[in-house]
Amino acid sequence: MDARYFDGKTAAAHPVNLALDGQTLLLRGGGIELRWPLNEVQISERLGNTPRRLTFPDGSHCEVTDHAALDALLPQTRRDWLDRMQHSLPWALLSAVLIVAALLASYRYLLPWGAEVLAQRAPESVLQQMGRSTLETLDRFMLQPSTLNAARQQTLTAKFAALRPLPGDDMQYRIVFRSAPGAGPNAFALPDGTIVLLDELVAMTKDDNEILAVLAHERGHVERRHGARMVLQSSAVGLVIGWYMGDVSSLLTALPAAVLEAGYSRNMEREADEYAAATLQHNALSPCLLTGMLNKLEAAHNKDEAAPQSGTQQAKVLDYFASHPATGERAVVLCPGSR
Amino acid sequence: MQDQQQEHTFEFTADGWEYFRIWIVNLLLTVVTLGIYSAWAKVRRLQYFYRNTRLADASFEYHGTPMAILKGRLIGAGLLLVYIVAGKLNPLLGIAIALLISLAMPWLIVRSLRFKLHNSSYRGLRFAFTGSDRDAYRVFLLFPILTVLTLYLLTPFTHQRIKQYQHNNSKFGDTLFNFDASVGSFYGIYLKAVSVMILLGILAAILASTGQPAVLLLLPFLLTLLPVAMLFIFAYLAVSLPNLIWNSTGLGEHTLYSRMNVRPYLWIAFTNLLGVVFTLGLFIPFAEVRMTRYKLEHMGLLAQGDLAEFVAGQEQQISATGEETADMFDVDISL
Repeated sequence: MDARYFDGKTAAAHPVNLALDGQTLLLRGGGIELRWPLNEVQISERLGNTPRRLTFPDGSHCEVTDHAALDALLPQTRRDWLDRMQHSLPWALLSAVLIVAALLASYRYLLPWGAEVLAQRAPESVLQQMGRSTLETLDRFMLQPSTLNAARQQTLTAKFAALRPLPGDDMQYRIVFRSAPGAGPNAFALPDGTIVLLDELVAMTKDDNEILAVLAHERGHVERRHGARMVLQSSAVGLVIGWYMGDVSSLLTALPAAVLEAGYSRNMEREADEYAAATLQHNALSPCLLTGMLNKLEAAHNKDEAAPQSGTQQAKVLDYFASHPATGERAVVLCPGSR
Repeated sequence: MQDQQQEHTFEFTADGWEYFRIWIVNLLLTVVTLGIYSAWAKVRRLQYFYRNTRLADASFEYHGTPMAILKGRLIGAGLLLVYIVAGKLNPLLGIAIALLISLAMPWLIVRSLRFKLHNSSYRGLRFAFTGSDRDAYRVFLLFPILTVLTLYLLTPFTHQRIKQYQHNNSKFGDTLFNFDASVGSFYGIYLKAVSVMILLGILAAILASTGQPAVLLLLPFLLTLLPVAMLFIFAYLAVSLPNLIWNSTGLGEHTLYSRMNVRPYLWIAFTNLLGVVFTLGLFIPFAEVRMTRYKLEHMGLLAQGDLAEFVAGQEQQISATGEETADMFDVDISL
């Protein structure tokens, strides 16, 4: 068969003939006569219809464009599995489907798992940083100073501080009071143990224990590192998207906002509910307190939905119910016999 | 001598469908190995493009090894991670790390150029890059800083210096490339693009200041015209600059040329963009092949005498780290 030989010392192309003599490859033509043991010849992998190369130990090589003749001459270089995959249409289509499946699966399973593992090991300073930057963003865009008087704030803070922690709890907490008239009644926890309590929620009940129940629920989110997990998950998604779009820097600034948008999963809410129930019982309080509060929140939420003009700008971000499990279902778990 | 001159045009024999199959199988393997396989995929992609590039009836070859590229990628990913984590912990620390990385950038670029050229061959002879670190710090750090300080007035000058550094220090075998485009010719191209933009701006300002209601009616029309004009300017730069650069580049006594035109280039770039968006990326391999074909088939070599007279130069071992780390931080210095 025909090939072109390049000696690796000059750019000259020498037309040669390739033949096999037992386990020896023979190159002949144009005053060239070379013999190489077959097992010392490196044969390039097949790649589409591109020329194949036979590279020899001294750095010289042959370029072959006649694929069929090469396959006939050297049957042992027949196509391997990867080669066959790379040239088959069914595999191409299957690959497209599998890629999408793999991406969805990693988003659904791998990502939450990885985030949980990392979040449990996140050092204190990272949690502090996450909490600080999120609160800064919230203060800038959505939250206003609280109108509760200092005495009321102190009472609630003291009552929360008196709540005995469950064994194994390791976080420090502080409550910050804010107001968000457009957002409706709410409270939410940041990864560093900061719990933001909105005036609107305080105004909803006369019973401080009900507020404590909500705070215990938020504490559950912190203890289980739900906030940190959401930060990590959305960072990872942002990183992948940023990579795809070719801009890594922009996502660094978009992070805190993305975190809030994500919302907790139903599973996380259940975990926080269980935690809250345990904490309440540990403090000789009834888990039904949380149920009561949930019902009130749901009622307020439904009223808001029915009369959209009442809330000025519905800040979706703070929407307590966006991803919460159905209140009735939670109530049954928390407080059997409540309905 | 003149009658011996021979024109060789690059041929590009790749096929969109063929490349699509290779691309998607390698993408799948990359996804299921969580990105590790991407080094192998990259080698395969470059091999496919190099081997399908032919000049004077011989093809190019890419010799980079996946392990070298993987190592580079890991170091690159490490640097990126350090930067992100540092930036999260303390913005000042993040800035300090970013500064350190930009200090290392010229050094990395030199490594990446060396790796890229050393691992490219044609007719059995390797390319090589011999630029010094010292000069790299001048063109990739000092001049860019000056460019920013002069409000980008120095952009054409810096661009010319970068290309001059790259091309004057590249070799094929032991034959040096040479580059003789003047700073003035770079300014010429940039000035044309900028003056069209300024003209458009003045036109819009005049129209707006007349305050005629008729202008408001024209507004939708003007608003669509503007992006189209910007696309044209972008295509003009993307065509004229490579044309200038390659037409001013020689290899020994031979000269290279590039003769792209704005309109076909714009058409390909625009339809590629639409294709990629509407197929959610599945069109990427076809787009790559189309664009490369257009570029290569408008390039070539004006040879004085026989191409067989090139001889091999010194071999050297090059690491892939530079190229991969530069990749990660989106520094694309196309040759």
